[in-house]
Amino acid sequence: MTAPALALEDLCKRFGRIHAVEHLSLEVSPGQMSGFLGPNGAGKSTTLYMIPRLVHPSGGRIRIFGVDLRQDFKQALRSVGVMVEAPAFYEYLSGRKNLQLAARLLGGVQSRDIDEVLERIGLADRQHDKVRTYSQGMKQRLGIGRAVLGKPRLLVLDEPTNGMDPEGTREILGFLQHRVKSDGLTVFISSHLLHEVEEYCETVFVIDKGHLVASGNVRDILKPHERIVRTTFAGQAPDPRMLLADARIKHVESIALDTLEIMLAVDDSAWLNQHLLQAGFRVSAISPRQKTLKEFFLSITGDHRNA
Amino acid sequence: MRSQLLPLLRNETTKAIRRKLPYFGLLMGGLICVLTHVAMAEIGSADTANAWGYVALSMQLVFADIGLIFILVFAAMLMSDETRSGTIRAALAAPLSRWEFYLAKAATGLLYMVAMSLVCLVLSIMLARVHYGFGAVGDSLGEIYSRKMVLANFLLAWVLSWVPLAAIVFYGLFLSTVVRSSGAAVAVSVGTLYVIEFTKHLVGLDPYIFTRYITYPWQILGQIAQGVAYQWQPEIWKMLGLCGVYGVVAFVGGLILFVRQDLND
Repeated sequence: MTAPALALEDLCKRFGRIHAVEHLSLEVSPGQMSGFLGPNGAGKSTTLYMIPRLVHPSGGRIRIFGVDLRQDFKQALRSVGVMVEAPAFYEYLSGRKNLQLAARLLGGVQSRDIDEVLERIGLADRQHDKVRTYSQGMKQRLGIGRAVLGKPRLLVLDEPTNGMDPEGTREILGFLQHRVKSDGLTVFISSHLLHEVEEYCETVFVIDKGHLVASGNVRDILKPHERIVRTTFAGQAPDPRMLLADARIKHVESIALDTLEIMLAVDDSAWLNQHLLQAGFRVSAISPRQKTLKEFFLSITGDHRNA
Repeated sequence: MRSQLLPLLRNETTKAIRRKLPYFGLLMGGLICVLTHVAMAEIGSADTANAWGYVALSMQLVFADIGLIFILVFAAMLMSDETRSGTIRAALAAPLSRWEFYLAKAATGLLYMVAMSLVCLVLSIMLARVHYGFGAVGDSLGEIYSRKMVLANFLLAWVLSWVPLAAIVFYGLFLSTVVRSSGAAVAVSVGTLYVIEFTKHLVGLDPYIFTRYITYPWQILGQIAQGVAYQWQPEIWKMLGLCGVYGVVAFVGGLILFVRQDLND
């Protein structure tokens, strides 16, 4: 059986009387991109900080590809690339020089590997400029470049696309997704941008108040929410108040002039179609609506703070 | 698993040689050497009656103040600058042990201390040769100390002068570990140094404060240069003991703190 890329077992962290992470256990499967979500202060960053032991766990165990961090820290870390929070650099050095410093500590990284990474992250033409002249997005890309420099098998990224424009975000996440598919890289990514996680991740872990509150395959979590149906009419949609007169219709929301989202008390789209036709409305399309990760997240955390 | 000490030390050197502060420190140390030369040429002194005396005085003046401060500031920024900027998190996310990182920082501080000492010494020697030769020490009655013997003591003084300076490096590194902002670490290290220097005599702590030995080896060389009787022992043992205790306590204390530290914000 293949060892999980990352296994957190009963992980705890206390800062004085504050329990930042409590008995957190999760397993990240290899060769996947997994999302790590939680409201602000949920313990996401603390958890990620514990992986390279920037923060010492108060209890529990971390295994990377089966290697216990406490038993062989260097061996375990050799297969991990980490980027926590806003990546920091020696601003008085060039982007390339910063990567060279990181490469020395990783060992086995050749100059051409640095060239390749710089090309991949789109900084080849600025590699000799001092980092202090880089924009936040460029620093973020350089941070990701540094994390992938040692050809890690597991990549741990904390808010990797912070400060990046949508195009840069797509490029970077696309690049990571490509590495997942082509090289079997495992990516564990914490992000507050739920649509990013929804689009790129296969599995998701949700943490709240230091506890794991949900986890699973993104597709399973977001399977069509069958009680909500998106209904498109051939012509103008009826007045929602009129539809609400029937007790089997719980809620109606207007999406467009010809489209309504209708929440049914029972899962019966056929009845809805019949009901609308009898009322004199011609329905051109009716489909169960996909739940968004945001809705799932909010229903799990019961919290409308940021993820 | 290979040791990361050498790559870390190379990284530290790469960073240090691309910053301005180390060069500014060397420049200031050099300036003191030149000013000493100019002043001594103007007023003349028994201390500078020969090249050995001039070098001894020049090194005392450098390390009594400016040289000492720059070594301390450099050491106080070694860790705190990385903590403040967050680069320490990126560095420690690599497969290396914290003690290796700390050791590399300590070695960098010591290298700078040696570099400062070497630059000022070479400059002092060059300036001394303008007026004097490095010959035997003597007076009108003849030779008192042979050139060979003075040279041996000169080299001994140079090497021994690193001992209190190394304790200063470890003290700065300790504060750099405790205080997470580089500005605050520098202020605290220089501030405490001055408070101790100004008050140690008043409260009778002078015998227990290692900074009293910062220029001690050069004072001995100065005595030799003047042709007077000198004595390394037993005071030199006290110097080694006191500086050793301070150095070890600061180094080990800083290391233990650093290894146990949580490096979150």
